[in-house]
Amino acid sequence: MANTVIGNTIVIDGEISGDEDLTIRGTVKGKIALSASLIVENSGTVEADIETKNVEVSGNVTGNITSTERVELKSDGRMVGDIKAPRILIADGAVFKGNVDMER
Amino acid sequence: MATAHTPATSSDSATIIGESVHIRGQLSGGEDLHVLGRVEGRVDLERTLVVAQSGIVKAEVSVKNAVISGVVVGNVHASESVELTREGRMVGDIFAPRIIIVDGASFRGNVDMGDIANMPARKPSAERPRPTPMARPQPVAAAVPARPAVTAKPGAKPAAAPAASPAGRAPDKGGDKAPERAPERAAEQQKPAPVTPLEPPAAKGLPQKAQKTRVIVKRR
Repeated sequence: MANTVIGNTIVIDGEISGDEDLTIRGTVKGKIALSASLIVENSGTVEADIETKNVEVSGNVTGNITSTERVELKSDGRMVGDIKAPRILIADGAVFKGNVDMER
Repeated sequence: MATAHTPATSSDSATIIGESVHIRGQLSGGEDLHVLGRVEGRVDLERTLVVAQSGIVKAEVSVKNAVISGVVVGNVHASESVELTREGRMVGDIFAPRIIIVDGASFRGNVDMGDIANMPARKPSAERPRPTPMARPQPVAAAVPARPAVTAKPGAKPAAAPAASPAGRAPDKGGDKAPERAPERAAEQQKPAPVTPLEPPAAKGLPQKAQKTRVIVKRR
């Protein structure tokens, strides 16, 4: 319950930072910096540069992701941008255009 | 949205900004927003903004309803109501037809309830609770000055009259606080001698309490 949720109809234009998991069902533009996990759900749209520990994408992401642990593109995820993370998973059905960097 | 209040707050469409989360920029939406963390910039909602005790909002806020238990710095425009709870702290102006500031809340700024002349319908219900506590102290106040004036200072009639009048008026200012003092006064009346020395502190005590109470606007 304490987790942060950006609901369906919410539009945020700016910067989000924090130390806890963030679930996005709405729209976020700008920049996201977390020391925890970011989950972009089906209905979520992110147009931002993302710096987090983990990322799970089921919605739309446009922007670069830098992750310290893991980035997962789920089967209904769509992403345009570069991914830099030690572990990167792209599921069957996911749409992705960009650069992948698994350098540790 | 088209749905009623409960689904938006309880089910998956409620938005929560967690304690450690800091948002800077513009935030808009059509659902309830609970802020436990920090939001700076601008907030536009078609529903209710809830600022929890841990929440800090430094923004121009435009919402339907706002419930503030945390800190808000900035102006709040609400199409329905703004409520500052006991824990709420706010600096800024409030524009809303209904504004509730509960005892204990701290607030600095202007309050604008809009065109007061166009909404007299709610006023009678809001004023009804007030006359009842006002009516109680009046018989008590009338009884108290009468006895000490005779028993303690029988000779000095001109001095007794001004001493009696502030004691009689003061409970009216004190309003709801006065009934608590009624049993004390009843005890004073039974002992005739200490009545006069005790009366001035009792009279002084009332305006002091009145100063302590902050701005309280209740309309329900």
